[in-house]
Amino acid sequence: MAKPTVIVVGADKGGVGKTTVARTLLDYFTAHHVPTRAFDTEAPKGTLKRFHPDISDIVDVTSVADQMRIFDTLSTTDASITVIDVRAGLLSPTLRSLRDIGFLDAVKKGQLTFVVFHILGSSIASLNEIEDTSAFAADGKYFLVKNFINNTSFFEWDQATHAAYFRKFKDAVEVTIPKLNEMAYEQVELASVPFLTFVANKGLKGEAANYSFVLRGYVRHWLGNVWSEYDRIKLNDLVASGGVAPSGPRVQVVGRS
Amino acid sequence: MTQPAPLYIIASPRPRIGKTLIARLLMEFFHDSGRPLVGYDLNPREPALAERFPVLVWPVDIADTRGQMELFDRLIADHASTKVIDLGYGPFDQFFAVMQEIGFVQEARRRSIEPIILFVTDPAAATVHSYAQLQRRLAATFVPVHNESISLMFAGEDFPGTRPEYGMIRIPRLSPLVRGVIDRPNFSFNAYMAKRPAGPTEVHQWIGEVYAEFRDFELRLLMSRLNASLGAAAIANRKSRRTR
Repeated sequence: MAKPTVIVVGADKGGVGKTTVARTLLDYFTAHHVPTRAFDTEAPKGTLKRFHPDISDIVDVTSVADQMRIFDTLSTTDASITVIDVRAGLLSPTLRSLRDIGFLDAVKKGQLTFVVFHILGSSIASLNEIEDTSAFAADGKYFLVKNFINNTSFFEWDQATHAAYFRKFKDAVEVTIPKLNEMAYEQVELASVPFLTFVANKGLKGEAANYSFVLRGYVRHWLGNVWSEYDRIKLNDLVASGGVAPSGPRVQVVGRS
Repeated sequence: MTQPAPLYIIASPRPRIGKTLIARLLMEFFHDSGRPLVGYDLNPREPALAERFPVLVWPVDIADTRGQMELFDRLIADHASTKVIDLGYGPFDQFFAVMQEIGFVQEARRRSIEPIILFVTDPAAATVHSYAQLQRRLAATFVPVHNESISLMFAGEDFPGTRPEYGMIRIPRLSPLVRGVIDRPNFSFNAYMAKRPAGPTEVHQWIGEVYAEFRDFELRLLMSRLNASLGAAAIANRKSRRTR
């Protein structure tokens, strides 16, 4: 059996499109037929749960009861991957409590695979927090994500900020999420379905939908580019060290630019 | 099953090369044959085609996503009408970029619509380069159009058609003296063809030649489809005989 994998998606601050990245990860694993479950920490709203209701639960990662729900079930759940969308500002407390419950020791012993996606903002919320989280970046499964999905919130990528991050996280690998057409993004929001379902022109229950062909095309192209980033960092190999072959219906990348 | 109606895109990366004139001729040629017809004018600032055909032609600005949806979503959904797009040189790059990004050609083919790009040629190196590059990037069918009023010679090796059997379309030269006639705001080729009180004029002859070019082109398209389906039928036939 594949080693259980925990993927934490977090950010220093809100509004950097963290949940969007988590959604592309869930779509990626769905397409690769990797059983996946997700925990959403945006209580009580739960954006991730809205898009992936079947596999998502809303939890509070700082409560012991919910930590048990997530981590004590790792070896018993059918899902080989657990994605945790950590609310803004909670990334370092979460990582710290993972260390405290002995989770990180299990990772060191090779019983678990642990991956962090750290979504960057255009400015740094707190340098101390980076100091904290960078301690977990040692094994090269720490990804710093430059998220351009909603370019409007990113007036200018600040070089100094960028440099500050990459000085702290020497072993981290950079991932870039490209921009998605605003109208296409908005339509997926309105439809409240996974990106993959939108591309397939279906509703949440698999019923035929009537989304614009142009917008579906934009989403398909964008998702293809995001996934080729995930392929580049060998995400599928990383989490499937137990042997899930990287097969399945791929989003066709039509003419990458 | 009936063949889905064709989609013609009249394109050139350069202005004043006769695109709108060719679009006008095509519109009237198709209209004359009584088929359902719709045109799209992608020149947002000067929708000259839309002004001439206010009922048949929609002006669309594809600079924003809304306009792109208005155009491409409709093209994909419409199986019944013959479609003519007058692509101005302004939105030229964006049109093909969007087309490629959203996978338009593949989806159109899936719905048996074959987008045909009537590329109006000229001898400029930039145009030759643009043609080659687009043809590499897009899986669509490119048919070169030689407008003799723009250049006397046509270098076929610079503009190879995607499907050699479709050939090319030649628009004969019209003397500048009578050019003013067809440029009049209310001029209609079909109405003009219908009346010839003192025998055919140069304009009559010219329109006749252009229409003949269009007819020949459609015939080549038809022949090629026929050949393809006959070929497919022959293969299927051979297979079924073998399995028997």
